[in-house]
Parts: sequence; structure tokens; C-alpha cells
Amino acid sequence: MTRSRWILLACGALVWVGAVGLGFKYLLDYSVEAGTPASAPERWPTESRIPAPGGAYTLVMTIHPQCPCSRASVTELNNLMALLRRDRVKGYVLVVKPADFPDAWIATESVRNAARIPGVDVIVDIDGKESSRLGAATSGQVLLYGPDARLRFAGGITPERGHLGDSAGRQRILSLVRTGTADGKDSLVYGCALGATICPPRPHSSNTGM
Amino acid sequence: MEESVSGVMRGLGGSTAERAGVLYSEHVQARRAAADRMFAILMVIQWAFAVALALLVSPYAWAGKTREFHPHLIAAIFMGGGIAIFPVLLAVYRPGWVVTRHVIVASQMLWSALFIHLTGGRIETHFHVFGSLAFVAFYFDWPVLATATVVVAADHLIRGLLYPESVYGIPNPEWWRFLEHAGWVVFEDVVLVWFCLTGLKEIRTIAARQAQVETLKESEEAKSAALEMVLKEIQPSYSGSRH
Repeated sequence: MTRSRWILLACGALVWVGAVGLGFKYLLDYSVEAGTPASAPERWPTESRIPAPGGAYTLVMTIHPQCPCSRASVTELNNLMALLRRDRVKGYVLVVKPADFPDAWIATESVRNAARIPGVDVIVDIDGKESSRLGAATSGQVLLYGPDARLRFAGGITPERGHLGDSAGRQRILSLVRTGTADGKDSLVYGCALGATICPPRPHSSNTGM
Repeated sequence: MEESVSGVMRGLGGSTAERAGVLYSEHVQARRAAADRMFAILMVIQWAFAVALALLVSPYAWAGKTREFHPHLIAAIFMGGGIAIFPVLLAVYRPGWVVTRHVIVASQMLWSALFIHLTGGRIETHFHVFGSLAFVAFYFDWPVLATATVVVAADHLIRGLLYPESVYGIPNPEWWRFLEHAGWVVFEDVVLVWFCLTGLKEIRTIAARQAQVETLKESEEAKSAALEMVLKEIQPSYSGSRH
């Protein structure tokens, strides 16, 4: 091969490596782009349609039925509830549905999977009223209230957007339920916005939901 | 193979050994060019599959009632195309070249990383890494396995440092954690390196036998020609003596 061809090939390889590297950076940045944290009430809202915690922990997850990232949140909820099956935890999944949208809009894999989780009830949340009451703004938001109806945890239970695996949120919930303490009371939440805003906050934004 | 390669080679004459060497190079080169072509087709199939997967799993990102194309779909189209195009061009224009196979192997491991992303880190998708390593062994060239391992280890190291939760699920993993992942790749590499070396040994034996056969054939042909010449020479005198 001639010298000029070598140079051309080296330039092509450099451009290729750079482009692929930038592509992966774009994907990774997106995957750690956290959603808006919840502004959950410190005490269980009395006007809620969900039964108030009575001697047991109450765990609520809000989901946007069409959000692809929330499939991972629901899978992680399934794993979490399996780990907590010997503990007294009642789970609810709020499926946000605009009133003017057809029922078929919420007939998604995430909702079907949520309905199959033992110890979890699925509630259709028309226009997200219940989610608003609980201060949730992002699909995949988890709120844990203690037997005394006080907020113990608010955050997500996936390690990043739409990804399965162990996460700080899961570890903290497990620790809170089993020992009453944890190294934190929140975690980043990853998922689609439940409301109308289209721009999620920048990566690594602070997510102190409490 | 009852006889060892060196045994076969020792039994060959100078020109036969030379011919065996040429045949060996031709066989190996043909296999590597064929593997390049296989990977070129695989790259295009993987690209189509990635786009189909993104369309099926995450076509849109939603915000309330509104939606837009999901970044995974955009990544599958453009990144997938980007990962595939350079190795495909090399496979088409420079099949069998050492650089071609190293680029192809690096791309194949990048495909694993992309698929793992597109499927949300599903543990099942990690099998793509190990399946790809087995495909890479088709080259019968162990250094390409080293390239594959370096790409996997570098991916885990860089992500572990910059985006630790994306790999390990925890924000502060030990720095050496990537070695655990790379270790399983090395585990498979050990078997595949042995497979490559054994494969090359067998190709060398086949080439040596083929060279021997060719030499024997040539020698038989030479004998036949000489015999024919002798026959031709003695035939006129023989027919003359009869008259």
C-alpha cells in the first residue's frame, strides 16, 4: 500500500473511532439523565384513593404506560417485591392515563407485568391526579411510606435509564424495611416525564426528593 | 492425525516443504478472507436487527401525552451504521488483511456493547459477547482474540470510571471490578486460543500432505513420461528387428 493510502486509512480509522466514541457518549449521557424528582408529602395524604398504611410499609410506583424505560422499573419492582416477600410491604402501581385517551393506550407490557407482581395492585390514575397528590413527576418514581404513614424513601429503583440491575434505590428500600435505616432516603429516578414537559434535567442533576 | 506435523514436514524434500508452506499460507488466507466476508454480512444483519429491536422495544420517548423518537432508535440507525460501515468496507476492499480482521473484531465487540444498551442491560444480551468471541475464532488467529478482550475490558474500565452505575449498578465500585468481567472473557479465550493453534496445526498437516501428493503425482507423471520416451525409443528398433 502506498504512503498516501496509509494516511487515508489512518484518518478514516481515527474519524471512525471518534464518531463511535461520541455515539457511545451520547447513549451513556442519555442513560444517566435523571428525571424530575418527586416532591412527596412527608405524611401519607389523607385524600388519597390508595388505602393509608396500616401497620405495614406501603410502596407506590408511578408509571407512564408507554414509557420504554419504565419496563425496567417494573421488572426491578418485581425483583424488589420478591426480596421483600417475608416483610410486610404492600405495593401499588399507579398507571397514569389521560382521560381523553382510550383504554388500549395503557394495555402495555409494563402494565401487564405490573399486574402480575405478587402483593402489588395496579390502579389506573386518570389524568395523574393521584400521582400529583403524591408529588410524582417521573415514570418509575417509587415512594415508600412506613407503618406510621411517614415518608421513608423517594426515588428510582433502576441503576440508570431503562437499565436492569442492582441500584442504590433498591438497596436503600431493602435496608429501610429490614433495619429501619439506610445510607440515604432517596435516589435518582429515570423515566419519561409524567406531565407535559419535554425537557428532562441535565445529567447528574441533584435529585433530593425529600 | 496420527503423524505429527513436524514429522510430516521432516519427511518432505526441500521443494515439497516450500510448496507445503505456500499451500498453508493459501489455505489460511482463504479461511481468513471467508471469515471477513462472513463478518461483513453479519455486520449488516446486526445493523438491521438493532433498528428492528429499537423499533420494537423503544420507538418513542414520552412526556405526558407527547412523544418523540427515542434516542435508542436514533442510536441504532446512526451508531449501528457507524459501527458497521468501516469494517464492511475493509472486508469488501481488503479481505484477508490483518488490519481488516482486527477492525472487524473490535466492531463486533462494540456491537455487543450497543445491543446491551438497546436491551436495557439485559443479562441475556451479554451472551452476545461470548457468542462473538466464538465467531472471532473462525479466523484461526489468536491475536484477534486479544483485540476483542482489550475492547471489552476497555469498555468496562472506561464506563466503570465515568458511568459506574451503568455497568455495576452501584456508584462507587472497586477500580479493579472490570478485571472480573474481563476475566470471564479470558476464560473463554484460553479455549479459543487452543482451538486456533490446533486449527492451524491441522491446516499445516493438510498442506504438507497435499504437497506430498502433488510431489508424488509429479514424480509419477515424470516416470510415466520417461517410460513413454523409452518405449518410443525402443519401439522402432523392436519393430525393425521383427521385419
